[in-house]
Amino acid sequence: MIDNALIALEALFDPVRLAALFTGMIVGMVFGMLPGLGGVAAVSILLPFIYYLDPYSGLAMLLGAVSVVYTSDTITSVLIGAPGSPASAPTAIEGHALAKQGQASRALGVGFLASMVGGLTGAAILFVAIPVAGPIVLMLSTPELFMFALVGLYYAASMIGKDLAKGLAAACLGVLLGVVGPAQAAADFRYTFDQVYLLDGFSLTIVALGLFGVAEVISMLAAGGGISHERVKVDHWGEGFRDFWKAKWLVLRAAVIGVFGGFVPAVGASASTWVAYGHAIHSTKDKSRFGKGEIRGIAASEGANNATVISDLVPTLLFSVPGGPAAAIFLGALFSFGYYPGPRMITQNPDLMFLIVWSVALTSVVGAGLCFAITPALARLTRIPFAIIAAPLVLIMVIGAYQSTSTMGDIFMLFLLGGLGWLMKHGGWPRAPALVGFVLSGPMEQYFWLTNQIYGWSWLTRPGVLIIGSVIVIPMLISSVRWLRARGRKAEPAPENALPTLNAPSHGIALVLAAIVSVMFAYALWETFSFNPASRLMPGLAILPGLPLALYLLVRGARGYRNDFSRDANELWVLVALFLYAVAVWAIGLSLPTVALIAWMLLVKARMRIWTGLIYGTAVFAVIRLLFDLLRGDAPVGALIPFS
Amino acid sequence: MQNRRLTVAAAIVLGSTLAAGAQDGLFAGKTIEVVVPFGEGGATFVSAKFLEPYLEKHLPGNPDLDVVSRPGGGSILGANWFEQNAKSDGTTILFTTSSTANPFVLGQKGVEYKLADYRVAYSHPFSAVAYVSPDTGVTSAAGIRDSSVPLIYGGIAAAASDLPGLLSFEVLDVDVKSVLGFNGRGPVRLAFEQGELNIDYQFTPVYLTQVVPSVAEGRAVPLWTGGAMEDGVLKARDPIAPELPSVYEVYEELNGKAPSGIEWDAFQGIASVTYAYGLTGYMHPDTPQEVLDAFAEAVAAINADPEFQEESQKVTNGARLNAGPDTEAAVKAALSPSAEVKDYLRNLLSSKFGVTF
Repeated sequence: MIDNALIALEALFDPVRLAALFTGMIVGMVFGMLPGLGGVAAVSILLPFIYYLDPYSGLAMLLGAVSVVYTSDTITSVLIGAPGSPASAPTAIEGHALAKQGQASRALGVGFLASMVGGLTGAAILFVAIPVAGPIVLMLSTPELFMFALVGLYYAASMIGKDLAKGLAAACLGVLLGVVGPAQAAADFRYTFDQVYLLDGFSLTIVALGLFGVAEVISMLAAGGGISHERVKVDHWGEGFRDFWKAKWLVLRAAVIGVFGGFVPAVGASASTWVAYGHAIHSTKDKSRFGKGEIRGIAASEGANNATVISDLVPTLLFSVPGGPAAAIFLGALFSFGYYPGPRMITQNPDLMFLIVWSVALTSVVGAGLCFAITPALARLTRIPFAIIAAPLVLIMVIGAYQSTSTMGDIFMLFLLGGLGWLMKHGGWPRAPALVGFVLSGPMEQYFWLTNQIYGWSWLTRPGVLIIGSVIVIPMLISSVRWLRARGRKAEPAPENALPTLNAPSHGIALVLAAIVSVMFAYALWETFSFNPASRLMPGLAILPGLPLALYLLVRGARGYRNDFSRDANELWVLVALFLYAVAVWAIGLSLPTVALIAWMLLVKARMRIWTGLIYGTAVFAVIRLLFDLLRGDAPVGALIPFS
Repeated sequence: MQNRRLTVAAAIVLGSTLAAGAQDGLFAGKTIEVVVPFGEGGATFVSAKFLEPYLEKHLPGNPDLDVVSRPGGGSILGANWFEQNAKSDGTTILFTTSSTANPFVLGQKGVEYKLADYRVAYSHPFSAVAYVSPDTGVTSAAGIRDSSVPLIYGGIAAAASDLPGLLSFEVLDVDVKSVLGFNGRGPVRLAFEQGELNIDYQFTPVYLTQVVPSVAEGRAVPLWTGGAMEDGVLKARDPIAPELPSVYEVYEELNGKAPSGIEWDAFQGIASVTYAYGLTGYMHPDTPQEVLDAFAEAVAAINADPEFQEESQKVTNGARLNAGPDTEAAVKAALSPSAEVKDYLRNLLSSKFGVTF
């Protein structure tokens, strides 16, 4: 085994292969930083080029790209607050809060180091576990996968926040968004309104971008020419290193969570990142800082998402079952190079397995180093008025969303969900439970249904199920014992293990949101009656608590109503403008509305001078068109005026 | 190449004005967009990439092929895009599987593409092999009704690519419990390995790389293949596994007569689009015959290309491409089943699998 490992290392140190690896790494870094574009976009942009290379170089290039995405997305998440990729949403919550308090370098330092250690841990675990990885994956049958999803949900409960009703309603809303599309259990299409676009359900990228990214960009645009937040300074890394050292065991535990998450096909990075984040909340004594900038939250989620990179590839290599979309493309590349992943992969191509380990390990270290090097320069960008940065960001998110199906539906959905995210942000609804509910509802329903079909109820006694179940039951027992003991004594102030919003929520917006969500749940309930019984379970789990909660919030909101819309009117207009932009793209194609939007953002919102605005705007537009072409999506053509 | 060089030389002699337009070949300087309505990395995408260099080499004028993935709606979005945007000169191809054909045949909601009107440029067979776990006690196809444990089959959705497999159980009158709702054939295969399922169908590449090793280790028993076309009947043995009987033969062995009736008609119609013409390149209805002839010639040249033969031996056990009027007629016939067969399919799917139309 060591022989093979050394042969693979020597093979990788061929200059062409190293060049390919680092080229891939740089592409991966750039795409990791662009919100909504991540590993999938990076890999698909590189795909045409790898066929000019030898198999090892080509695969190294793809590996370089996927393994650094979750490192560089930290930069966007921390500095801007829009998650660089869906799996870094917890980093965006905690890291951006820290950045606003002037502690960006601390957040970034911990993020990069945790990313590096996560990637290295993943590689090290795979290195040791190559001989036993196959049996481990085989042990994780459907019931165990269902239990994993349940553990994720249990941890999600810790993100509910201070306002229990709003947190639970947000989680139910997320589950409801997750059941749109094909039902797992029976041949029903739920809540598709006869739109082919909705037949596959919502894309995770669009939901994450909509809920988190668009709302942030709206704030940035509304801030206009001024700098509304404190300047982000990135100067000394010392504190970040010390913080990282304090959290080192947490990072390692998070990496192990990430490795297991990656073994589970189709759950992958985003679910395990949330589980690791939930674990961080659980294992931290003083929970009051979560949501307001808790460094341990960053350490855990960055450790986890980087560790999934390599373990995502294990089911891909051993069973041809890709762990995620990027792994699916990697699988396609393996086929094209004449490697046929299967149980014999380890014995037939041990060099290839070790090549993967070395590539990921090497890029984890070099990628983190490079991130440290470029961040001070990038942080200077945040001294530019926010609206100037927001202009390209809006359009990059549009491109990111457009990657899912390359139809107008992607763009509409981005801004509709963006509107929802904006309402949630200002109405004081936590968005993390909504995203977790969305991520987990699919696997939960699927694995529950398959488990019950295959095993009846006998699965409950499987050893794996009991072991995983104990992860939930034991902490619950411990805390209930604590609660019983503490009952006699005087009541402690409730722990603020919450994700409170930084500003007080707006009463008007909270009322509007409660009304919208009530209508959604009521409609969903009505449509549920047309489904096969088996397809009703999961929507029922969302609606039965969700509808009463939403109605309660509606009544509560109506009682405490105050007309305070004017406070956020500025941002509301930006939202309206973005909706108008989407409609205009649908009607007359991409180019004209994009030019108009850029002009409006730069000249009206950012108040740039005509000439600088013109030059900068032209550059932005050129880059956007170039990205559309590079990603091989033809830009939307107008429905009324056929122009793109 | 030799030919091309000569023509170019001749054109230069004739004069530079002529040379510009006289590079021989229908597709000289053109790019052909191959639309795959599934994700990058999926089996269809990989197959399209596999064929790309051979089509570039053998089509007249050596066009560039650009394989583009347009996933969504279980392939309906990509096919609808093709309906609206395909060019009629053969430079846009929809390369897809029965996942696109079945919703069209069944008349599902959201289908805007008129697949039966399209021209068929080329087609690649896609075999499927059924196999069981040795725990069932079944040792050959003939013993399939004597399983010692209930048979459990895993699938994705009844109305998609699982349809021919489910119909084969109907034809053979095998009692199988179908658990639908998996994410893909890969996870199904994994569940079989884990012992959760005990009967499965897998398509060519996975069969060769994963099932064949399992058979060698005694962890799977191969049963039958979907069969291959012979004189318009899906009865011949599949070249991927000539030692296995086709569904047709298994029926004969179990019942002592050739299969017939509505179950068989339905199975044959759906299975031939899924297997015999599994991966098909469709073109705009108005594509000139000249273009289709060029593709038929290119396909003949590809099948004769030793490099293709060697590579396809590795990937598909030496399957060959089909093209030409016979192929087109067979595909179109399979896409336009009789009203009786359509009714049977719709009834079966709604009563047994809860599909709503």
